[in-house]
Amino acid sequence: MKPMSSTMTAVAEPAPGAAKIEVRNLDFYYGESRALKNISLALPERSVTAFIGPSGCGKSTLLRVLNRIYELYPRQRAEGEVLLDGENILGRAQDLNLLRTKVGMVFQKPTPFPMSIHENIAFGIRLYEALSKAEMDVRVEQALARAALWGEVKDKLHASGLSLSGGQQQRLCIARTVAVKPEVILLDEPASALDPLSTARIEELIDELQADYTIVIVTHNMQQAARVSSRTAFMYLGELVEFDRTEKIFTSPREKRTQDYITGRFG
Amino acid sequence: MSEHIVSSFDEDLKRIGGLIRDMGGLAGTMVADATRALTRSDEALAQRVVSDDAVMDARQRELDERAITLIARRQPMAEDLRAAVGAIRMAGDLERIGDLAKNIAKRVGAVGQGTAPRELSHSIDSMAELVLAQVGAVVERYMAGDAPALARLRDDDERIDEKYTSVFRELLTYMMEDPRNITACTHLLFCAKNLERIGDHVTNIAENAYYVLTGELLPPNRPKLDETAAPAA
Repeated sequence: MKPMSSTMTAVAEPAPGAAKIEVRNLDFYYGESRALKNISLALPERSVTAFIGPSGCGKSTLLRVLNRIYELYPRQRAEGEVLLDGENILGRAQDLNLLRTKVGMVFQKPTPFPMSIHENIAFGIRLYEALSKAEMDVRVEQALARAALWGEVKDKLHASGLSLSGGQQQRLCIARTVAVKPEVILLDEPASALDPLSTARIEELIDELQADYTIVIVTHNMQQAARVSSRTAFMYLGELVEFDRTEKIFTSPREKRTQDYITGRFG
Repeated sequence: MSEHIVSSFDEDLKRIGGLIRDMGGLAGTMVADATRALTRSDEALAQRVVSDDAVMDARQRELDERAITLIARRQPMAEDLRAAVGAIRMAGDLERIGDLAKNIAKRVGAVGQGTAPRELSHSIDSMAELVLAQVGAVVERYMAGDAPALARLRDDDERIDEKYTSVFRELLTYMMEDPRNITACTHLLFCAKNLERIGDHVTNIAENAYYVLTGELLPPNRPKLDETAAPAA
């Protein structure tokens, strides 16, 4: 979504910091059990927002609502509104495939397809665009370069994606997500299975990607949330307890429950 | 405040708090001894202040080491982070208070050689009382978690500044009355200035302690009433 001209910019593109996604009065149910309770928050465009909270607090559930991936499972439903650029993505009219190209997702465990590195990237692009081989090669290179992986794999593009290390596989998954030109990237514990150096590379990548994408990350690692995000949401028992600038959350949170959790006092 | 899940974290924080309490107590003793030594020309007591300063320095080094280790090992957040960083800063101010008390103590001999130091130092004595009350209260109020008292304490430094201005004028008058007073009064002026600086460090500690306890910064608009730098005293 590039601005068409400089005079159009102000109208066509909200300024950085404007809301890309707005969640309004969201409830989520697994069958009868209510996992999210009246969540409302706005995720600023082109910045990183972190969701933190103890296991079962609803942070991954909230992430899964943002591209409606929960619909792959029976008896799960969301009520309320999630506005992406002002359009309610929970509406019946929403095209799910289109939504998922706009809102990409990377999971905790690297999930490369059992095919070549090149094909891992090309596969997704081919679903939406008909490109010549030369064009496709350029797109694959761009995506791998964007995920800071190109230098490491350029000489073995036809090797299996599964032959890469865990950290490289995760960056391949990010490259695959970036390749279909999303607007939002959802990261669900993207570095929890990686060693510190691979983690640092992923964090460096997140830092770079936020110039172009709206990023939402779920993490159990609070230092990671503190390092990569500009806003942090603390969730507990399906409620949004506190949502504020990251430096505020980690130096002087407003709520006692936030303080207790991030300082390791939760019983 | 509830306890950490990892109990050794609480012990680490308690030890750092204990060191702040020790340093606060020692700072109070040093300021009290230094002014008593000054007003009574007690050189032995002055010497004790000088040797106490070495203890103060050692405490500060230990605190720094513990706080830095805590940051490295525990990666504290929120109030714990504020407590660790705040302790380092408060220890710095307490150590400076020790230095200033030592400076006062070192002048005891020089002042004692002048004429009639006892009367001259009377007004310093009452200034020292004010400062001493502040030094004693600041760490105590921090340990009690009493943020409003710390805010008041910060504002009370104004009284020390006022007192300093009046001591400054008084000593100036003595010097004009009798030039033989000049040596002693000059030394006393430096002592008064040291006491005034101690008050400033107490202010810093109060501000830091307030931030540690509340996560908020005190507004910067404290009235400033040291007028000795103003023309035509």
